[in-house]
Amino acid sequence: MAAHSSRLDAATSRTAGPETKRLRERLAPAVVGAAFLAIWEIWVRAYLPDFVATPTGILNAIPSTISSGSFWLDVVASLSSILEGVAFGSVTGILIGVAMARVPELKWLLSSYIYALYALPLIALVPLVIIWVGYQPTTRLVIVIISTFLPVAVTTADGACAIPKEHLDVGKMFGARIHHLWFGIALPSAMPHIVAGIELGFARAIANAIAVEVLASVPGMGMSVFTKSNELNENESLVYVACLAIFAVGIRAAMIRVRRWLAPWYSG
Amino acid sequence: MSISERTMSFGTRIARFRTNNASWIRIACYAASIVLMLGVWQALGNSFGVLFVPFTTTMKQLWVMLYGGPLLQALVVSGKLYLVTLAIDIVAGVTIGLALARIKLIAAALEGYIYILYATPTISLVPFVSVLFGFGFWPRVLVAVLISIFPIVLGVMEGARSIPRQHLDVAAIFGSTERQLWRDVILPYVTPHAMTGIKQSIALSMAGTLVAEFFLNPDGLAALLLQGSTIIDTAWVLAVTVFVAALATALVGLGELIERFLVLWRRTAVG
Repeated sequence: MAAHSSRLDAATSRTAGPETKRLRERLAPAVVGAAFLAIWEIWVRAYLPDFVATPTGILNAIPSTISSGSFWLDVVASLSSILEGVAFGSVTGILIGVAMARVPELKWLLSSYIYALYALPLIALVPLVIIWVGYQPTTRLVIVIISTFLPVAVTTADGACAIPKEHLDVGKMFGARIHHLWFGIALPSAMPHIVAGIELGFARAIANAIAVEVLASVPGMGMSVFTKSNELNENESLVYVACLAIFAVGIRAAMIRVRRWLAPWYSG
Repeated sequence: MSISERTMSFGTRIARFRTNNASWIRIACYAASIVLMLGVWQALGNSFGVLFVPFTTTMKQLWVMLYGGPLLQALVVSGKLYLVTLAIDIVAGVTIGLALARIKLIAAALEGYIYILYATPTISLVPFVSVLFGFGFWPRVLVAVLISIFPIVLGVMEGARSIPRQHLDVAAIFGSTERQLWRDVILPYVTPHAMTGIKQSIALSMAGTLVAEFFLNPDGLAALLLQGSTIIDTAWVLAVTVFVAALATALVGLGELIERFLVLWRRTAVG
């Protein structure tokens, strides 16, 4: 490929220098994005009914949507439930994960169930939780907690298992007590795994929260995406989707920062 | 020895007992975990009215649903969606991943959008899929693929980007054609990365299948789950949930088996 690509480089550099190439690569996303939006707009206007969302329609819907009180009620309801659930699920996940890594008996007792639940798409649990908790916001909280708890517990256990034995030996030699071993050695060395687990948990929590809102008729952003769409308010509905996407992308970016801050030695 | 044993602290003695009998303790723990779980389930089963049923009732219900019941029909419906999704994931995912890795302009143009699409909760896009394409089989496939394809795309892309320059140079020096280059260098190098992605997609396709079935005109296993929860038939919902959990565990296990087989194959192929 080197030869091929350098042959290609040579061929293109005759017509376009490396700077033109770099410029072309920098402009490409904007061109593709603009083309996508233009085709979307024209295609919908030409072939599809009026209620289907268009880029200009979405732009026009932003001010009225964002200035309405129900939008902010939805945002607060969904995001507070997600943040609360992720916080609770992460803390319990970290504690159980470290405990499973340090006490093998506990791991053998719990692991079958934790791994089985981890494999199960949690949306399959929603009907059961609806029966137990009801068509209520608590159902969303329960599912969000489970969505974060499982990946965090599994990744923490993996990370805290893989501690170099020397670290533990040194700790013991200097008379480390059990809480030093757990939270002074095991926890920090599992940190990159824990952050990865929380990141995965967050993504699943957001998706599952939306699913619960729709299946259990719990008011929130996900519910509104579906109801607005059913009322043929597609543009407004897509404003909600955009907000959810911004939230999800923001969380992902924030988690990368957190990992760099908490585990700067880990580059993976 | 006897003196040292007498002077040993209680903690040390426990530690020694644990290391000496590790495999027995392990088996005992696994047995205890199953017995405890089933025991608690059975004991609590009758004490919550209609909200919970004992383990034995759940298993009876599962048996009834399996033999002549709706479960196998639902499994066929969901299984078809699952297999088509996984097949598209693999073919399209590997192709897109390779294109993103080997053609710079495509990567520059699309990579950002792919990450945004990956982060966006796919469930929120379901209403637009149904408006544009309706509620049939292929719209469901689209939703399920959007949920499950990304690990393969990103895995293949990162794999193909990490091919050491020297490998490519050696192939070029020995005058390999484009086809030989792909067959002998790029594809073997990318295969393990693709397998890691496929392993994840095997599990995610199941999630995608269920989401598509839940939200695009309920069908298959998801419809069974919803049916049970609307009429609050706890035994019904528990039976289907247990069935889906067993299925999911089996699929994840299958993925791990494939990966382990591949690692072995690589080791024997290399040395």
